[in-house]
Amino acid sequence: MRILWNRLSSALLVLCAASFITFTLARVIPSDPALAYIGPKATAADSAKLRITLGLDQPIPVQYFKYVWQTLHGNWGYSLSTKQPVLQEIINRLPATLELIFFAMSFAVIFGVAMGVYAAKYRGRLQDSVIRIVAIAGVSMPAFWLGLLLQMLFAGRLTWFPATGQFDIDLKYDNPISKVTGFPIFDSIITGNFAATVNGLHHMVLPALTLSAYSFGLLSRMARANLLEVMSQDYIKVARAYGLSERLVFFKLALRNALPPIITVTGLSTAYLITGTFFVEQVYNWPGIGSFAVNSLLSIDYPAIMGITLLAAVGYLVINFIVDLIHAKLDPRVWMR
Amino acid sequence: MSMKTAFSSPRVRLIAVVSTALLAVASLSIPTVAQGAGVFKVATSAAVTTWDPVQSFSTEAFYMTNIYEPLLWKNPDGITPEYSPALATSWTSSKDGKTWTFKLRAGATFHDGSPVNSAAVKASFDSSKKIGGAGFIWDPLKSVETPSDDTVVLTLSYAAPMDLIASSTYGAYIVNPKALAAVAADSKYYESGKDGGSGPYTISSYKAGSSVVLSAYGKHWATDKPDYSTIDISIVPDGITAQQMMTSGQVDWSTNIPLTSMATLKKNKKYSVITYKSPFNYVGYFNTLRAPLNNPVVRQALSMALNYRDITAIGGQGYGTQARGVVPAGIYPYDPAIPQYSMARAKAKTMLDRAGVKDLKIKITYASENSAEARFVPLIKDAFAAIGVTAEVQGILFNQQWAAAKKDPANAQDLFIVKYWPTYSDAGVDNLWSLFHSSTKPFFNLSYWKNAAYDKLVDDAIELSGSDKAAAQKLYSQAMMMLYTEAPGLYLYDEAQVSVVPKKFSIPKYNINYPFSAFFAGVKLS
Amino acid sequence: MKTKLAGLSFLFKDTLTTIATVMMSIFIGAAIFAPWLAPFPKEGAGETNVDNIYIGPGWHHLLGTDELGRDLLSRIIYGARPALLIALAVVGFAAIIGTLLGLIAGYRGGWIDNIIMRVSELFLSFPPLLLSLVAVTFLGPGLVNALIALIISWWPWYARLIRVEASIVRSKPYVEISAAMGVPDRIIIVRHILRNVTTPLIVQIAADLGTVILAAGSLAFIGLGAQPPSADWGLMVAQGRNLIFDQWWISTFSGLAIFLAVLSFNIIGDALRDHFDPRIARQ
Repeated sequence: MRILWNRLSSALLVLCAASFITFTLARVIPSDPALAYIGPKATAADSAKLRITLGLDQPIPVQYFKYVWQTLHGNWGYSLSTKQPVLQEIINRLPATLELIFFAMSFAVIFGVAMGVYAAKYRGRLQDSVIRIVAIAGVSMPAFWLGLLLQMLFAGRLTWFPATGQFDIDLKYDNPISKVTGFPIFDSIITGNFAATVNGLHHMVLPALTLSAYSFGLLSRMARANLLEVMSQDYIKVARAYGLSERLVFFKLALRNALPPIITVTGLSTAYLITGTFFVEQVYNWPGIGSFAVNSLLSIDYPAIMGITLLAAVGYLVINFIVDLIHAKLDPRVWMR
Repeated sequence: MSMKTAFSSPRVRLIAVVSTALLAVASLSIPTVAQGAGVFKVATSAAVTTWDPVQSFSTEAFYMTNIYEPLLWKNPDGITPEYSPALATSWTSSKDGKTWTFKLRAGATFHDGSPVNSAAVKASFDSSKKIGGAGFIWDPLKSVETPSDDTVVLTLSYAAPMDLIASSTYGAYIVNPKALAAVAADSKYYESGKDGGSGPYTISSYKAGSSVVLSAYGKHWATDKPDYSTIDISIVPDGITAQQMMTSGQVDWSTNIPLTSMATLKKNKKYSVITYKSPFNYVGYFNTLRAPLNNPVVRQALSMALNYRDITAIGGQGYGTQARGVVPAGIYPYDPAIPQYSMARAKAKTMLDRAGVKDLKIKITYASENSAEARFVPLIKDAFAAIGVTAEVQGILFNQQWAAAKKDPANAQDLFIVKYWPTYSDAGVDNLWSLFHSSTKPFFNLSYWKNAAYDKLVDDAIELSGSDKAAAQKLYSQAMMMLYTEAPGLYLYDEAQVSVVPKKFSIPKYNINYPFSAFFAGVKLS
Repeated sequence: MKTKLAGLSFLFKDTLTTIATVMMSIFIGAAIFAPWLAPFPKEGAGETNVDNIYIGPGWHHLLGTDELGRDLLSRIIYGARPALLIALAVVGFAAIIGTLLGLIAGYRGGWIDNIIMRVSELFLSFPPLLLSLVAVTFLGPGLVNALIALIISWWPWYARLIRVEASIVRSKPYVEISAAMGVPDRIIIVRHILRNVTTPLIVQIAADLGTVILAAGSLAFIGLGAQPPSADWGLMVAQGRNLIFDQWWISTFSGLAIFLAVLSFNIIGDALRDHFDPRIARQ
């Protein structure tokens, strides 16, 4: 219980400081908010008026206090470039990104771990070498490059998949998805709108593959390494000496002990995926937080940037927290530290 | 390892099953869904900065000209008559040009049914002049009178071409007074996608940064109803994505297609590639406050270093023409007699030597998001290197480029590259004034150039353009000559507008006076 | 330590590692000897050649030319320079700063330890790369700013790593005895702690070099890293993006360069780790 309390309080401290860092960066560095707010023709007079409207003329500590107060009350400011409430924009765009992350992560976990285990089982043979190369290639591949390549090959040359977008535009006229949870593909399954499901999955393939590459490689390597290490432990040898079948040894003993660290890594790679979506969504024009983040960065839309940073930090913390909890549950030794 | 043992492993089986499933999804030919009847699908990069027609001053003009209407539209260059009636059917001006009378169209209504009357016009113009993004266009306006419901009288403090100003793409829309009142109470009134317009389309749905859906307004005054009752516009930040959406059939038409793709699209039989004159041009400001750039001879020499042909070819990808000063071709007061610099590097070097300039280092800034600038600025750097001037090129985000230039002129860049266009089709009161008229705080004059003779020429010309266009043109031409000889700026090229239109559609021609806009009411199947 | 590295034979222990070593040597060689290796050195450095734009891969230009007519192979060779520079600078500075702070924290303990670790945690609370993206946005795009932004994100990893090792060593009996005997702090640090810290430090550095190149490439791709006309792989991928369907070679080969460079660093990093202690679990 104390550990929980410790983690929570340090998490809160971290959030406060994170918001402070982003806030300072945004205020201290020169940029003209009028250009994002009004457009390229904003005049000096407009700029001056805008500073007062946005409260930028007040002393920094006052601004910071107001910012914290408003944030805690759910007012995350208004995006300079779209004039929409930042929190609203984030909420609107979150499902698309979460769905993308879900599919990418599922692919990475299922195939990555499977490949890693397979490679460990056939250690030293051809399958092992091939899988190891594929895995390390996955971790080394620039996501944006992979995205462009897949786009060019499978959407440009071979036209097997759509190059961009979450759904066909026609879909909202022919087979609109009724909103249940807000997650489009899942809603389409729930409401029986299978044309939409197929269309959504069709659009999901390339971006999810691109996003999953890094985690796929990482999990593959981890699974293989952990399993090999566990397999070399003494108790495995003892089990074998006792005559337990290889199958039993492998699945019941080895895997069960090798998997908990995998969960930690899965949690961490989900966090990697957060920034990964920035590039993947930009290349595939995916209407999620990632593309919103890139646009906000490039137009120096500081309320949006601060909102996204806060969201990312919160998400990261939550993921780490959950991972720690799961890890503690699976491996009671953690409590003793 | 044999196939049998391979497939006995549950892992391998799992992999096989899922792979097959994926392949199945991949090879599925999505049944061609019946196209939503009467839906015209568009992809564009035009973002909506605001839905407020009075504040609007950016790329949302793409949509605005379908939702709102001014009193009159300016027709494309070369078409007579010069203007088409919109919410006003006729207009006259007094001899001295200081009083303009507009007769309003009978039967025009806003989208909520209320009539478009003189009160609405007065409210719109007053609001625009007071708080509008482009409110400065109403500078000559002294008062708006409404003698009757269908008559509006504009009284000016000095003669000005009110027909031109009232046709502006920014700041001249007639807005529903109820909307004006609503936004006065709540500044964010429009931003969820509400409109107070009278135009052929109204906003049906809006997803910020994602899509805009317009639906036809049944009671619009035009006798010719639009063919497409729904316009579905996807907002796509990258030109290449928009292009791909069109060529793959996701959308019917895309705008903002990268110039680099035109060569390939020209070969595609399904599309026509049409070139138009546009009001956009590329200009560089010299920092005239900094020695030796305060010496016009040095500036002339630098102007002679550039290979204008290459810069236009690379920047505009063949769709550009070298600029004559800062007034784009096709916009008043363009004068084809204004000279241009051409490449003369030996002469330039001699001029620099004679001016005593050695080891000149120049810092060039440009907007890193602008792909044309990113393409041609290296050519400028090479050109300067060829005459012994070292250039440091800095691409920074547009917002920061401007902020830095306005903040501290003395230490800002030496050469500021910018893409410019006039707010309405008068580059005298806009380009010539805004870009080079002296001002105490840098407004758009980022050359920080102060020349009283030039100021007087332009100020006088502006005053005359309301009453005596010919005399005004003479003065403007003299001002433009001065820009040539004094060279406070580098005049690069006018960028053409290139439209890629699918042959199966007939889309209204590009109108240089509404450079960001597309008029959807005229879209038909050809 | 001496005996362990003297045999650089681990770099050639199997085919894959050998290939990686060769690739890395080419990469480093390209960075150092670019003007001599590049077939069109002036173009590699940025000089335009407007008559040659958009030439596809062929005999004269092995990888084709870009949108300003510059030979792509030369540009890629010159692109090794910013890549290597960023990798070394970021990892170098981050390691130095992180190690210093980690040593102080781990050795001194107490409130200094607390502060340094809290601050590190704070920086680490952001998903990787996010802090760099935000920092470089506000600092303004450019190679130097990207460098600074990346260093800001990277040093906490080293601080944490070194601090853990340092505090472990610190509590070892022979160190406590030395301290009690009055041996000056800095000698203890150098003689005992640093010696034990070097191995994990080197392994981490090797692993990070590739990751930094990837991160820097990502920043450049968005437009927040190196700016034209410099030859930077990430920037070149971005510049070729609009041309991806027709003049595909620009983005493809530039990205391939990033991929191969990172891949070779990662493979060598693996080999290094295996070499030092093959039984350490991959955490």
